[in-house]
Amino acid sequence: MVTYIVRRLVTAVLILLGASFVVYQLTALSGDPLEELRASNAPNRDQLIQARTELLDLNTPAPLRYFGWLAGAAKCLIPFAATCDLGSSIQGEAVTTALLRAMGNTITLVTTATVLAIIIGISLGIITALRQYSGLDYGVTFMSFLFFSLPIFWLAVLLKEFGAIGFNNFLADPEIPASTILVVALASGFIWALFASRSWKRKAVAFVLGAVVAAALLFILELADWFTNPGLGPIVILVTGVGIAFGIVLLTAGLRNRKALSSSLIMVALGLVAYYVVNPILNAATIWMVLAFAALTVVVGLAVGYVLGGYDRGQSMRAAALTGLLMGFLIVVDRFMVTWPSYFNNPRVRGRPIATVGAETPGLDGTFWVNGLDTFTHLLLPTLALLLASLASYSRYSRASMLEIMNMDYIRTARAKGLSERTVVVRHAFRNALIPLATLVAFDIGALIGGAIITEQVFAFAGMGQLFVQALQRTDPDPIMGFFLVAGMLALVFNLVADIVYSFLDPRVRVKA
Amino acid sequence: MSAQTPADLPGTGTATAGPAHPVREHEPRGLSQGQIVRRKFFDNTAAVVSLVMFALVFLLAFTSVGFAGIPGWWKYNHTEFLPLIDGGAPTITGPFSWGDHPFGQDSIGRDYFAMTMRGTQNSIIIMFIIGALAGLVGVVVGACSGYFRGWPEAVLMRFTDIIIIIPVVLAAATLGEAVNRFVGPGAQIWLLGLFLGLVLWTGLARLVRGEFLTLREREFVDAAKIAGASNARIIFKHILPNAVGVIIVNTTLLMSSAILLETALSYIGFGVKAPDVSLGLIISQNQEAFQTRPWLFWFPGLFIVLICLCINFIGDGLRDAFDPRQKKFNAARVKDVGEPAAA
Amino acid sequence: MRFVRTSRAVGVAAVAALALSACAANTGTETPQESVEGEATGGNVRVVEVNAFSSFNASSSEGNVDINGVIAYATHSGFNYINNDLEVVDNEDFGSIEVLSEDPLSVKYTINEGVSWSDGEPVDGGDLLLQWAIESGYFNDATTDDAGEVVSGATYFDYSGDTAGLALTELPEIGDDGRSITLNYSKPFADYQIAFGVMNEGGLDTPAHVLAEKGGLADEDALIELIRTEPAGDPASPVERPEVQAIADFWNTGFDTKSLPTDPSLFLSNGPFIASAMTPDQSMTLTRNEDYDWGPMPKVDEITVRYIGEAPAQVQALQNGEVDIIAPQASADTAEQLEALEGVTVVRGNELSYDHLDLNFSGVFEDEAVREAFMKTVPRQQLVDSIIKKLNPDAEPLDSQIFLADQAPYEESAANNGSEAFGEVDIEGAKGLLAGATPEVRIMYNRDNPNRLNSYTLIAESASQAGFKIVDGGLGASDWGAALGNGTYDAAIFGWINTGVGVSGVPQIFRTGTGSNFNGFSSPEADELMDQLIVETDPDKQDELQIQIDKLIWDSKYGLPLYQVPGMNAHSDAITGVEYMPNLTGVWWNFWDWQITQ
Repeated sequence: MVTYIVRRLVTAVLILLGASFVVYQLTALSGDPLEELRASNAPNRDQLIQARTELLDLNTPAPLRYFGWLAGAAKCLIPFAATCDLGSSIQGEAVTTALLRAMGNTITLVTTATVLAIIIGISLGIITALRQYSGLDYGVTFMSFLFFSLPIFWLAVLLKEFGAIGFNNFLADPEIPASTILVVALASGFIWALFASRSWKRKAVAFVLGAVVAAALLFILELADWFTNPGLGPIVILVTGVGIAFGIVLLTAGLRNRKALSSSLIMVALGLVAYYVVNPILNAATIWMVLAFAALTVVVGLAVGYVLGGYDRGQSMRAAALTGLLMGFLIVVDRFMVTWPSYFNNPRVRGRPIATVGAETPGLDGTFWVNGLDTFTHLLLPTLALLLASLASYSRYSRASMLEIMNMDYIRTARAKGLSERTVVVRHAFRNALIPLATLVAFDIGALIGGAIITEQVFAFAGMGQLFVQALQRTDPDPIMGFFLVAGMLALVFNLVADIVYSFLDPRVRVKA
Repeated sequence: MSAQTPADLPGTGTATAGPAHPVREHEPRGLSQGQIVRRKFFDNTAAVVSLVMFALVFLLAFTSVGFAGIPGWWKYNHTEFLPLIDGGAPTITGPFSWGDHPFGQDSIGRDYFAMTMRGTQNSIIIMFIIGALAGLVGVVVGACSGYFRGWPEAVLMRFTDIIIIIPVVLAAATLGEAVNRFVGPGAQIWLLGLFLGLVLWTGLARLVRGEFLTLREREFVDAAKIAGASNARIIFKHILPNAVGVIIVNTTLLMSSAILLETALSYIGFGVKAPDVSLGLIISQNQEAFQTRPWLFWFPGLFIVLICLCINFIGDGLRDAFDPRQKKFNAARVKDVGEPAAA
Repeated sequence: MRFVRTSRAVGVAAVAALALSACAANTGTETPQESVEGEATGGNVRVVEVNAFSSFNASSSEGNVDINGVIAYATHSGFNYINNDLEVVDNEDFGSIEVLSEDPLSVKYTINEGVSWSDGEPVDGGDLLLQWAIESGYFNDATTDDAGEVVSGATYFDYSGDTAGLALTELPEIGDDGRSITLNYSKPFADYQIAFGVMNEGGLDTPAHVLAEKGGLADEDALIELIRTEPAGDPASPVERPEVQAIADFWNTGFDTKSLPTDPSLFLSNGPFIASAMTPDQSMTLTRNEDYDWGPMPKVDEITVRYIGEAPAQVQALQNGEVDIIAPQASADTAEQLEALEGVTVVRGNELSYDHLDLNFSGVFEDEAVREAFMKTVPRQQLVDSIIKKLNPDAEPLDSQIFLADQAPYEESAANNGSEAFGEVDIEGAKGLLAGATPEVRIMYNRDNPNRLNSYTLIAESASQAGFKIVDGGLGASDWGAALGNGTYDAAIFGWINTGVGVSGVPQIFRTGTGSNFNGFSSPEADELMDQLIVETDPDKQDELQIQIDKLIWDSKYGLPLYQVPGMNAHSDAITGVEYMPNLTGVWWNFWDWQITQ
């Protein structure tokens, strides 16, 4: 195994070397860096052309120039020497600086969207596979393809129009007209009905239920002026927490596992206590504090599960830890909501919280909670756009994969043994269906750093995609090469990871040393 | 094994202790695989509807403005400047009352119907070239490396790695330059499709390889080997049909994403270039018109969505039809269908 | 039974929690009072720029980007600025320009007392001298071969502007007051007014004391001494100047940054504003320079600059109230969309760039009659109607090769230069001139620019009617520039940028054999007038000469100017004082008039 990895890494370096040469040449061929100057009528045009020629060393043929770049890049291999020289852009910024910054931005932008797309996409895929050819299946397929087919800049314009401008207008005067309540109620009822199983009666019940719940919720929220002063409060947290506990136990252990259920419920109770205890401390929260609390919660959850666990400790521990985490999440969400009014009324936000461009409100300098909200309001729309656009491929693949698995002999065997449908689906089918997806996911994570060129552009987000495209439009080789190095390296590494993961998940596939 | 059931049915009887569900009464006998596929496909309503829709779109696009020098029946073409009528608003009011400019006119008076149709043609051409090329290369590379392993795998997969890490946008930009410089704009559609096809097969190759890695270890492959089947036979007759689901899903997704990739490239200025048009190009050229003259958005957008949806539903239908294990004919019977014991 | 016990415990805990919550009123989370920042609440204007800030030195060739220029404009002062009527306005609060003698031209620049950098150092003679040394190319002694490769000597300061004007001056002396220098020109220089210390070019933007220190010298006096003693650059006998090189190297790249430097001396201000916060590629905040009182006084306390490239994104950000002033790429739809917005005002005007059709004075167009015939077929009105009118309803074809419609002498020149002969398409007239000939004309243009493509299409269609055989010579975005003047085409459609003020640009395009004279126009008479023009310091006489040159150009059937490119800004109605400005300074030109009404 180790030899295999080492060998792959060595080849990766060679590949990178070869490909970097190709990329450098392609860049040189892709345009004329003097274009804007040639057509200029500035009196010192010739001098400007000469300066640019000198800066980019254009009189040296591109294949030779490559080695100049390579010599600088090679210095990056010397550890701890800080001699890394990836050149600089036409505007004189060192590529290493620009890359670090762009990577940070891209990671903030793309990570959430990718993670959510994977989770939601795979769940939708599994559900639609289990209900193949039902209304739900067609509905989800249609919607996911619809979003997939919309050009993302178009999606972005729509999101900005309704998600930001419209919603901000609404927030300025949060009154929901009856017609809106009706439409939302109908839509909600429709979705509930889609999810309900096939009998028409149950669908009808679900429709009514969905519609009533949605309408009542909207009505109450409006009545309580929730949109100006949002918050969950202990009761909602408790009720939701209990719901979460049951849901998690249902999925991970089955409701018959009473030990798992009770450890989860204990975590809910503990969470509620923590809600009061931790509250004052959270005023001075930092990201590290929140992470530390999360870690603590997991430990406590595992402990509770261990103590109560009985013969199948693992299940209880998992369920309890997961429930605890989600409780913690609820508390944090509540805290953010409570901070909302002070964010909303901040003079720099001026009552228009949902942003259409950028990553932050310039000059806003508040607490962890205010800044967190600021990041949320800025990332909301681009994340949504990316999420909607990438749902389709995950849901399609997982649907196909799940369908295939559900027809396997061992599934039939499992059913024949009298296992519950939950066990069959979660334990036998789901895990195997994930195997082919592992490759896809690993690969997508590798490609993540490449950024989302158009999303970044329309949301004025200075990530890797922007860095790359702007350099390409100027025919500026060094940033392109820097981008390529980082993106290429990650792609290769995650390629390797995908292969290794595959051989782990599917023992029949052996990695040959 | 009976003739009509493909030789690769899993399980040699040990695991199937008899069907758990009622058996369908008659598995039609004497049908070739092609017939089964066709029947299954045509039993899938969504797929058939999509196929018909796509055929209509295809016909409309290629006959209306003509193709390859053959004139079409529409009175304008996508390059003529015409006087702007009513601010270029669309004149279509119903399926049979099209008016002079059914989809309106763009800002300099070109007929938007002609442009959309020409764009649809180009997008379909690009899509098919990419689908065919990437599908072919991807399957061959993936199959060979997954099946043979050893040095063919090493060489092919490292080659794949090189292609994967070269940014598609850069490749497209360079190509655009080359097209501008050395070839006329007429050939750019074909070249763009060709070029993107030669770059985009990598994902498919990896997926196919993954499938083959799993499948080659299965019992039926061993059985076929022992029976003396040649490598080619094992690959194409035994393993490939099992991988066809993944291949079709991936290829159709690839084809629809090809349209979107072209749109994206046009948006950043590296796709199809004026004076020729593609759906992506006209949408991105008119992106500022979104609120003022939305029809410049809706019509080409409608065609993009239509094509993507059709292709994917057709792909879905094909996948289900090709899947040798799946015997479902339609929704109502899903739960009842058991698999006839193969052994 | 354990489950029963635990569930009971859970139940008790839950009830306890509920009871607690009841005590804690409706929400258990106490709302901490977020401190609302006291700074700059009323006076913050948020402006959108397309490009991202990259350097505090907007005059170096790497830093010469529009956004760097406007930041330099807001953070530096100078002797004069250009207003939106393209007139030079003196800033007498900063200093004075005094013409000591017309011939030989001698101009004295004096900075007022009390003008200082934001670190307290006065802005003085050393700064003036350094600025002069940079902008005159005094030390440069580089010789280049045909390929543009430097064979000997060096170019020290990578100054992006034109050194031609100040190169005529000799090494100036600092006045006795320590706050002035006198520039003595070897021959009169027409654009002397805008040759030095113009705010639109960044004003006086290089602090000598900082550069001296960063370049390894003891202090500002050492730098002054260095400039005074080091011999002038002579390409014939280049010399090594390590000290100047060190200074120049720092000037060339040392001010490049995308984040706020920790060293405040790298972004000193001597203007109304000073940078206070920067987020790379996202935004930048300028706050008031407390000391500043030597020039127009701004009314707002803070300006936030945000970088948004896409026009639709700019519009939606304005609509969403995230920004106050935008300057999107002009397009008909953007304009219409902005007009429809409530609470938004659209400001329109022309840019300084204009598209034109040039005919080569060789090949098929060697014959003046053929050129004239071709010009007669160009549908200029139709071009304007179909390409420009939607953006600027008042647009008309441009009728002068030298003046733009925004300049005062335009009307007079357009009335006299014979342009009215080409106001209407005259196919019959063209046919008459061609006398049955069908010359083949290859038109070169940038195929990737939709406006040019449309211009070509319309021109080609019209010219074919008169019998011209038009060959499409359109080239891609990165090729057409290189093809200019290489003789592979007969006519070219492309754009020039007029500087709006000054006359140096005229000979650059129209003089025999100069760098941007791509079509081989040559008129000894015009050359002579241009020679007079560049040494004429009287603005009225400059106009007179230019009107004569304009007529000569039209008479020679040079080609046709087509139209000026329209521009536009939009701002929220919460802001007043925003006015259109055609040149690169854009909306920023009168940022001191910006005011928040609400």
